[in-house]
Amino acid sequence: MDSLIRNSDKLAKHHAGASQKSLNSLAQLISTLEQHTDPAQQQHAIAATTKQITEQLKDLYTNISKYGKLVEKTFKLDLTSIGSTFDHSSVLNESILLHFLREGDFATAQVFAREAQLELPSVRGQFEEMYQRVEEIRRHELTRAIEWAVDHHDRLDSLGIPLEFSLHRLRFLQLIEEGQVTEALAHAREWFPRFSAQSMAEIEHLMGIFIYSRRLPSSPYSPLFTEQRWEDIAHMFASAFCTLLGLSSMSPLTTAVGAGARALPIVCKVSSLLREKRLEWSQQNELPVEVPVPDEMRFHSVFACPVSKEQATEDNPPMMMPCGHVVCQVSLEKLAKGVRPGSIASGRFKCPYCPGLSVLSDAKRVYF
Amino acid sequence: MDKINVDHMLAIEEPFMKAPLEQLKRSLRQSQKLVERETQQVNSAISSMVNNHDNLSAAEVNKTLGELVERLQTLKRKLEEAKQEETQLIRRSKQRATDLNELSTFTSTTQPEFQRWCRTRMDRILIDYMLRNGNVETAERLIENSHLEHFADTSLFALVMSTERELREENSCRSALQWCVENRSALRKIQSTLEFELRLQEFIEMIRERKTPDAIAYAKKHLAAWSDTEMPRFQRAMTLLAFSPSTNCPPYKNMFDMSRWDHLAHQFRMVIFQLFDLPAQPLLHLLLQTGLSALKTPACVSADPTEHNRNCPVCHTETLGKLAKDLPLSHHVNSNLVCRITGDKMNEDNPPMRLPNGFVYSLNSLTDMAAKNDGKVKCPRSGQVFSFSDAKKLFIS
Repeated sequence: MDSLIRNSDKLAKHHAGASQKSLNSLAQLISTLEQHTDPAQQQHAIAATTKQITEQLKDLYTNISKYGKLVEKTFKLDLTSIGSTFDHSSVLNESILLHFLREGDFATAQVFAREAQLELPSVRGQFEEMYQRVEEIRRHELTRAIEWAVDHHDRLDSLGIPLEFSLHRLRFLQLIEEGQVTEALAHAREWFPRFSAQSMAEIEHLMGIFIYSRRLPSSPYSPLFTEQRWEDIAHMFASAFCTLLGLSSMSPLTTAVGAGARALPIVCKVSSLLREKRLEWSQQNELPVEVPVPDEMRFHSVFACPVSKEQATEDNPPMMMPCGHVVCQVSLEKLAKGVRPGSIASGRFKCPYCPGLSVLSDAKRVYF
Repeated sequence: MDKINVDHMLAIEEPFMKAPLEQLKRSLRQSQKLVERETQQVNSAISSMVNNHDNLSAAEVNKTLGELVERLQTLKRKLEEAKQEETQLIRRSKQRATDLNELSTFTSTTQPEFQRWCRTRMDRILIDYMLRNGNVETAERLIENSHLEHFADTSLFALVMSTERELREENSCRSALQWCVENRSALRKIQSTLEFELRLQEFIEMIRERKTPDAIAYAKKHLAAWSDTEMPRFQRAMTLLAFSPSTNCPPYKNMFDMSRWDHLAHQFRMVIFQLFDLPAQPLLHLLLQTGLSALKTPACVSADPTEHNRNCPVCHTETLGKLAKDLPLSHHVNSNLVCRITGDKMNEDNPPMRLPNGFVYSLNSLTDMAAKNDGKVKCPRSGQVFSFSDAKKLFIS
């Protein structure tokens, strides 16, 4: 990639030089013709110029082709092998509109709704409130965000979202940083006791800050004052707001595209292999290969039996042996069948992963 | 922490790098042709002057020379325009490569810089989608907001959209044919019959208007050239002369059908994308198809809504879930367990714990719950309450 960028510089230089030269020789030819001298001489000038320009263009083309090869080498992907069409334009457009709304880009959402002839959903007003608060947080104004969190205390609490305490904590730190020690103490007295059950240790830690309030930068508390905390809390606010609206904490479109960025190169390869067998990847029940996605994109438990490597189903559920190891029902039955009658284990079979012995009826169903 | 596969992540940006490159090649090819044609003409004009030198008056010589100068000046102007365009394309190519290269500086997917990079990626993918769909205003807004002028192939898509519109709405082949003529040799290389189809359409329109002599003359001039490769269709076209637009005879009825214009518009789009080495579909389609498939699990399509996770795009049954309906499920060789209470991954550090009713949650979530409730834990799915000490640790290999 670095050599690609270096090459683009070289190409730009060559292009500028060569095309200017071509233009200059053309200009010269024109002035020769304008001087109305002997046609035979002109014939000669034309031939020379033509040769010159043609060669320069040819050189340039060779260089561009070379650069092109480099691009192809760096960005190796045959997207044509994906092929199949995807015909849900209205559903897709609605998803994109929701994406704009939850990202707080109302103006774009409006333009898009008009262009794509969609109706703006009614959640718009609520999103607007969210983005005003987020913008305020980014400007280090917390008052209205705190008001919102206080208003929604019960729901946030029941969902286990620590937004309200985080906001009070941030406000407290802000007051300390501004040297308003009395106000900080008043703020702590007013709000911290509500969270004493869950966050006592953190509150005790925070109250210690008064000792250092005059020399924060050199205090053990200095790591609490990074610039990043504002952005963190802004994201936390948006996520909590969407959660309370019953929405996902990330834009689903962003998540899906992020997964696609990982899946597309893999599926491309598989797809071209499948095509040789006249199969279409999108027509299969299951992708033929695993696509590694990061943990934050795993939303459902998937249990793959370590013995059979098959995914558990309702008909072949995961079962726990007394030792705590889990395999699927079918594998378990196979293990039980493998026991020779009269062996020393007396009908019990060994767990494939530890020395534990068990019988079939000891196994218990698990629900992930 | 999750490592970033830079090569894979860059690979999907291929269309963004190919577009300026192919445009650059095309521009240079056209300059080459132009120079070749113009200099040849000037050359032959001069040659004939040299040969006829004695028979020409000075005024005639001056006149011809004046014309030639004008010709060359036009050539010079065109080359200057091409130069400007090419300079911009090279610059764009570099800017794109530089932006994309930022990826190699990230170490983890949770890094805020990487998140920002991903947001920009989303924007450029949406810009590509909007431009391809002709939602120009939305595209412009996105370009402006995210400062992505250098990632938008606006002029290319504008050409596609305006030509398509002309075919579909005005039923005119003018721009499409002009483009075909400009790119004739490239089209021949990919064995495209687009020009034949367009000529055929103009021929059909003449017959529709009962301009039979014109139609025959047109066929002689433009269709006959295709007789080598398209003989059967050429013959069928000529047979059309015998039928009226109201015919019910199937092949001829179809040829008179107005929906042919839509087919032409679609064909034009496919051919121009093929020529510029761009995928026929927007990148967004490709990413969503493969991405949704990679996220899709049996739980997402379960009829039981408690199996759904609101953070999972596929579980949004009214929007993205609909798009994922016919896509394959993801494939898993290894188990991935996600705690239903916290959404965290369950592994050696946060092992899965089985409650006596069989339901499994993460150790951390149950520990938290037990600490708040005198050692009791409540199964959120069944509502049953158990003592934390009755939870049994599971080993997942």
